[in-house]
Amino acid sequence: MNAEVEIPPPLLDVRDLTVRYGHEDRSAAVRQVSFHLQPGEALGIVGESGSGKSSIAGAILDFLGPAARISGEIRFGGRDLLKLPRKQHRAVLGHKIGSVFQDPFSALNPALRIGRQIAEPLIRHLGMPPADAARRTVDLLREMGIHRAEDVARAYPHQLSGGMKQRALIAAAVACEPPLLILDEPTTALDVTVEAQILRLLGRLQQQKRVSLLFISHNLGVVRRLCDRVAVMYASQFVELGTMRGVLEHPAHPYSKGLLASRPPLQAMPRGNRMPSIQGQMPIAPRPEEGCVFAPRCPFAEPRCAEQPQSMQAAMQGNLARCWKADVAGEWPRQAAEVLDHEAFRAGDALVNVTHLRKTFSVSGRLAALLRRRHDHAAVDDVSLSISPGEVLGLVGESGCGKSTLGRLTLRLLEQSAGSVEFDGADVSLVAGADLAEFRKQAQIVFQNVGSSLNPRLSVGEALERPLVLFGLAKPRERRRRVEELLEMVRLPLSYRLRYPHQLSGGERQRVAIGRALATEPRFIVCDEPVSALDVSVQAAIVNLLADLRDQFGLAYLFISHDLAVVAQLSDRIAVMYRGRICETGTPAGLLAGPRHPYTRMLLAAVEDTTIDEAPADEAGATALNGCAFAARCPCRLPDICDTTPPSLRAVGTSHEVACHNLQ
Amino acid sequence: MVAQLADAAALDTDTSTDTASRRARLPISLKVGAAIVLALLIASALAQVIAPYPFDEMHIADRFSPPSLQYLAGTDEYGCDVFSRVLIGSQLSLLLGVSATLISLGLGVPLGLLAGYRRGLVDEVIMRVLDILLAFPPVMLVLLILAVTQPGLIKTAFAIGLLSAPPIGRVTRGVTLDLMSGEFIEAARARGERLGYMLWRELLPNVWPVLMVEASLRVVFAILLGAVLSFLGFGVQPPSADWGLMISAGRDYVDEAPWISLAPGIAMSITVIGISLLGDGLREVLDPRLSGRR
Repeated sequence: MNAEVEIPPPLLDVRDLTVRYGHEDRSAAVRQVSFHLQPGEALGIVGESGSGKSSIAGAILDFLGPAARISGEIRFGGRDLLKLPRKQHRAVLGHKIGSVFQDPFSALNPALRIGRQIAEPLIRHLGMPPADAARRTVDLLREMGIHRAEDVARAYPHQLSGGMKQRALIAAAVACEPPLLILDEPTTALDVTVEAQILRLLGRLQQQKRVSLLFISHNLGVVRRLCDRVAVMYASQFVELGTMRGVLEHPAHPYSKGLLASRPPLQAMPRGNRMPSIQGQMPIAPRPEEGCVFAPRCPFAEPRCAEQPQSMQAAMQGNLARCWKADVAGEWPRQAAEVLDHEAFRAGDALVNVTHLRKTFSVSGRLAALLRRRHDHAAVDDVSLSISPGEVLGLVGESGCGKSTLGRLTLRLLEQSAGSVEFDGADVSLVAGADLAEFRKQAQIVFQNVGSSLNPRLSVGEALERPLVLFGLAKPRERRRRVEELLEMVRLPLSYRLRYPHQLSGGERQRVAIGRALATEPRFIVCDEPVSALDVSVQAAIVNLLADLRDQFGLAYLFISHDLAVVAQLSDRIAVMYRGRICETGTPAGLLAGPRHPYTRMLLAAVEDTTIDEAPADEAGATALNGCAFAARCPCRLPDICDTTPPSLRAVGTSHEVACHNLQ
Repeated sequence: MVAQLADAAALDTDTSTDTASRRARLPISLKVGAAIVLALLIASALAQVIAPYPFDEMHIADRFSPPSLQYLAGTDEYGCDVFSRVLIGSQLSLLLGVSATLISLGLGVPLGLLAGYRRGLVDEVIMRVLDILLAFPPVMLVLLILAVTQPGLIKTAFAIGLLSAPPIGRVTRGVTLDLMSGEFIEAARARGERLGYMLWRELLPNVWPVLMVEASLRVVFAILLGAVLSFLGFGVQPPSADWGLMISAGRDYVDEAPWISLAPGIAMSITVIGISLLGDGLREVLDPRLSGRR
């Protein structure tokens, strides 16, 4: 940090950083990672879960605990942090390096006011008197784009939305004006529109304060917006390092190519097409000293790849890549549909028909109920939609908009408050006995949370066999063969029959969950965020599997996701949901090309990173009791009507409907 | 937060949970506890073979003999061999501890599962009934049951089991509530599974690990309470060899022949410590990691 030197030395210089946990024989979580960061520069580290990227942040920030053994050098401002006594290391951390983590919901102490938590580092590290610190805190919050900064400083964490908490945490991180900010998945827990705002805020901070950023994320699309350079991490090593543009436009390492190719594009995918995907999964205990760790998943691999350890070398485009074939490998291969005789779904009699469906939850507690102060919150509010046999309806919306509730209502896992759900012409809430069993058999569900969707005490075989027993679908002697068929359908090895869920990766568990849903030979499956918890490289493979199964068995899906791009890959129609109401429906092509509802436009803008005027999402008050739910955030709201009358869906073209008063 | 991150990072890398390294990390309490309990079970099962004398054989000439090679733990006021009586008594104590615990599991587990699964009114009714049982002072309640009827081992076991049912029920309900947020429960509901299957196949196997720990504490509780009851004269009747009874009988001679009370007391201590260690060890193995990693 010597200002007189003309070419400034790097602010952060990491050399051969290696992190191991536990015993000597365990493979390293981080292996010989080297990078440097100039003042004011932003470096992104991208990798899937388990690649070791968070351990890098942990090593710099000294929170890996005694189980971790760290070697190498972490030079910050010329001093090696690993050689400093712990007390001095901690002092540097509090003062000179700010950090923001993924989960804003648990990073704040729920018992202390926001202002106090931001003022803490000011008082502790800068020695500010508490009164000055309080004033500075309000200024900081204002800098973070919070309008009612005084109110927020006095608030407790539970009173703020996720986006607001993350802003407050960023304020705390930059309070001491540190030259370096380490961000570990800072927007992963947030909705896309809020994510876009936080990213803009971070970009502004970087420019105004000349802060260096070390931005760690699984999402290349997010890192792209802030960083000048990017490192791609795979199985404990950097596999590619280069400028953001260089890596995005000319990825040299096959893994980077695969990652870029398997990101869903923001456009509709025709039925016969499949997403490019990376086969297989990341090794749990990589042995890079024996050969290329990516070779088993690499379409360009040759036998010698697995025998020859790889080192970082300059590829033609200027990126460093850990691949000796970087210059000769071509484009990532596209993938063809496995089932070729797909046919467009037959529009006609609806398989699922939802009319004026409503579900309310009581917000108030028991005491308030006694005092007759209860007011109900409509999670699903007057929703009508229909799904034909073999059709995929995509349902998009931010967290808490009621999309999962709607999915569960269609399966009668929840009782509706009003309206009706018909399945194959019969009212779902009225069926009983054998008819109910038949409905349960025909309508199934696949969940988001791969950690809890399988019973940890049942083997894969037992989980797949249960539906066969329950519905009498196979004679006892045929069950094993049928289980093997199901494993084949979801492209898992037959030996997995005997495994337990904790022995499977996230993607494999999701395949088992899909297989369990298929076991009943259903006609309709609710897919509730089936790929949201999975890494990008696995995501595409699961989407392709769902597409193959749709074509093979003529399945209809209600495909629920917060990610418009993922939904567009699979859906025949998309419905956009906001606060319990459908605000726009249309074909993926029509919706993406010509969104008509301001909320849909905002969602698209957030993904594409184009700025759009809006009232900040976090500060939008509760839904107006009457009127349009979106009015508080709407940039094109009309003076009277939007606050008084809820808009209803109107056709604006063939198979395109919008619920908005202000359609120019 | 920070610890979680480090933990998650550590978990990411060490998924190679081969059984060999797992065994190497078994807590010492588990090993010691298991060894003690195993030794006790063997001694108790072979008591009739090991015991040098029948437990009720009187050696009138050798009354109040101190411990010697002939009588390892001395003799009591009738000249019975204390060591033999302690050995035979271990059968009664362990039998009481285990049967009382089985009864409490039989009562508490189904109620806890049902309360946690059904919630609402069912939960409310079950838990309040269990609360009422909890509200009585333990010894009072058991004495009440035993006072109105003839004493006997089965009845004592039942009374103690009834007393242990509320804690078992609470633990079961707590774990069940936690499990209910798992999506595999919702998947089972989407198949239209019946109540019995949900409770026994989906929920119970996941509750077991935690129950094992709780059950071991209940065995200790039952043995101690059984001894208290015998001491008070409400449990097993003389001349049976029961630890509580022996301590009670030896009370009068504690100055001249302390071994009469001391021997069963030491035996009981070893039993209680062994089972407690086993329970603690189980908790260490089953609670933190496995439940977090499922």
